[in-house]
Amino acid sequence: MKKLLFVFIMASLVLAACGGGAPAATDAPASTEPIVIRVWGHQAPAFNEANQKMFDDFMKADPNVIIKYETFPWDVFIQTIQTSLPAGNTADVILIPGGYTCRYASGGQLLEVPANVMTLDQAKGIFYDAPLGGQTCDGKLYGFPAEYNLEYGGAYVNPALFEAAGIAYPPKWENWDAVVADATKMTTIGSDGVMTVAGMHYTNSDQLFTYFLAGILEQGGNYFADDGKHFNFNSPEAVATIQKLMDMAQKDKIVDPIIFNADSEWVGDSFAQGHNAIGVLGSWYAGDAKIGYPDLVFDYVSLPPMMGSEHKFVSVGGWGYVVGKSTKNPEIAWKLASFLGANEANVLYFNSHSATIPAMKSVAADPKYVEAVPFASAVLPILDAGAYQGNLTDPDQLAYEIIYPTILDAIQGNQTAEEAANSINEAANAMVDAAQ
Amino acid sequence: MAFNTLFKKDIVVDSGKLTAKQRRFAYTSLTPILLYMGVFTLFPIVWAVVMSFFSYSPIREGSGFLGLGGANPFIKIDNYIELFTGTSKPAEVFRLALKNTFMFTALVLPLNLLITLPLAVILESIGERFKTLFRAIYFLPTISSSVALVIIWSYMYAPGWGLLSIMFKAVGLVPPKSWLQDPSLVYFGVPLAMICVVIAHVWQDFGYNLVIFVAALQSIPKTLREAARVDGANAWQEFWLVVVPLLRRTVLLTSVLTVISSLQVFVIFQLLTRGGPKNQTQTLLLSIYENAFKFANNLGLSAAMSMILFIIILILTVIQFRILRTEWEY
Repeated sequence: MKKLLFVFIMASLVLAACGGGAPAATDAPASTEPIVIRVWGHQAPAFNEANQKMFDDFMKADPNVIIKYETFPWDVFIQTIQTSLPAGNTADVILIPGGYTCRYASGGQLLEVPANVMTLDQAKGIFYDAPLGGQTCDGKLYGFPAEYNLEYGGAYVNPALFEAAGIAYPPKWENWDAVVADATKMTTIGSDGVMTVAGMHYTNSDQLFTYFLAGILEQGGNYFADDGKHFNFNSPEAVATIQKLMDMAQKDKIVDPIIFNADSEWVGDSFAQGHNAIGVLGSWYAGDAKIGYPDLVFDYVSLPPMMGSEHKFVSVGGWGYVVGKSTKNPEIAWKLASFLGANEANVLYFNSHSATIPAMKSVAADPKYVEAVPFASAVLPILDAGAYQGNLTDPDQLAYEIIYPTILDAIQGNQTAEEAANSINEAANAMVDAAQ
Repeated sequence: MAFNTLFKKDIVVDSGKLTAKQRRFAYTSLTPILLYMGVFTLFPIVWAVVMSFFSYSPIREGSGFLGLGGANPFIKIDNYIELFTGTSKPAEVFRLALKNTFMFTALVLPLNLLITLPLAVILESIGERFKTLFRAIYFLPTISSSVALVIIWSYMYAPGWGLLSIMFKAVGLVPPKSWLQDPSLVYFGVPLAMICVVIAHVWQDFGYNLVIFVAALQSIPKTLREAARVDGANAWQEFWLVVVPLLRRTVLLTSVLTVISSLQVFVIFQLLTRGGPKNQTQTLLLSIYENAFKFANNLGLSAAMSMILFIIILILTVIQFRILRTEWEY
């Protein structure tokens, strides 16, 4: 017993020494003491620079607030918020990636936007539906979208490859067939029979996922089942979309899906190295390309709808500013989140500096934005056609473990469009069932 | 021996019990490290075991102790049943990952031994200066950053313009269209992507076993080999009939260590193939990571996967201990 008591006392002493302990009543900060607000984000130079400038402005206007901006590499950031949010040990304000807000809001780990800061109705008038949907859960607003994540409707084009193939530049495609026709002309096969330049690289994971869903919608279909939770991925529209994606590789031969996919010749790097003439990728890559490949000459142009006559697509939403429930200063935290995500001048600055698509309608219409981010003009006209992707149960698993590998497998010739659609439907619905 | 006796005498009284002062010293010394082990080693293991019996996700707010219960319910052994018999994608991928992990280990082990043992014998037979130099060269990849090595190998395996493809073309051979991403290229039941990862891993890892073998060779008494030579044995007979039997214990040890380390390889798979193509290089650790942190945050299922891996490694470790316990004398 004595031994146990001794070990317990020693353990207590060590723990006491390790832990900071709760501050004594006399340590309580005086009202004039600065309030420290922690902000978390991922490491992205353009995002971080834009945010830091806005933090400086905020602190200048409110000298009683000190903002500590902590950034993490992407993987570390995701794991950090996954473990810290439930533990109630997060920053006050978090710049959270698209699709993650409701995951944590439904677990009660995020604060709802107070009505005196902004109501959902007000937000609907200010932001586009798709990015706003990413911050809205069960009819409640949980954050301010900072950008509109768009993997659809635009592509990077390489003027040198267009010129070499004798194709008019910049391209003005009237329909998808015209895109494929140009891509066919620019596809190059080496003497050993291996494709050296893909006419169009559309076989990246995000693109196959995005265009699969968009293809269903463009034909008037719906990928949700009647209950709104399960999926309908083996509809005729889904099969037709997969068939179209397969035909472009197998009949038109504008890409070799074994060489060009998400893990080999990734579309952005491949485009920068001149290995594809038309790189289907979100406009967000333009900023990275300008930093990573400063000598690269390219344009970002709009793509016509793939399966129908009108653009229809869904988006994961986009990055957004949210407030963790563990904040000790919710008023200041919301004041800052609002300053970053709902102040038009700041939003204009953020989107212009980070070259992201605005979630705020007025910023997208602002000529200053187009002047700062000229390539974004290719996709600005279609922003109203987008919707939030909805509750996909586990969007990452659906996109990267179910839809992408299955469609890529079909494009590579290992299964038919029907088989792929049935396989996706079965796995996606099993995912929903497992989560319930 | 004498030192041990003196030391024992110093701290143990005649009755064999510690004095109160000695006990205090022992407890004071042991408490911090036991606390450290308890918090950072024992607790995570116990936590993982417990989680494997729950449908647990950290993003759900549970109602019971440490969030266990409520939205994170106790499901008995359902996670284990799901992994071995379920039809969900994670369960299917897990079973494939289990097979791939064993396949990887089964390929790495013989390849590693086939390279390291003869190489160690050659190294042992050359001059001391070169021996040190080559030992350092061969050991260099082992202590280098895995990420850097994977970047080098990804250039080697790049389709079309990669070094391996260029070398194939230079000697008139037709390289595969893609070394790492073509699921249709399977040789004797082993996907090409897996073969590529095995080669890169063995290249990185063989220096470790090489150093062990060189040390083991040095410990073999020269008299035994000289006696064999006097009896008329040629170099091959000396190696096969004298050296190899005396290295049996070392071979067993390195085999077990190689198997255990092969089961735990993560970085090279994550960075070189990410489990592709078509999950042909998906391993247990990749599945555990993806289910815990990439998809759904299903820590309960991931914990069950970890337990299965833990049991496999535990069995191998017991075997290793038994091997090490064997008494040997030259």
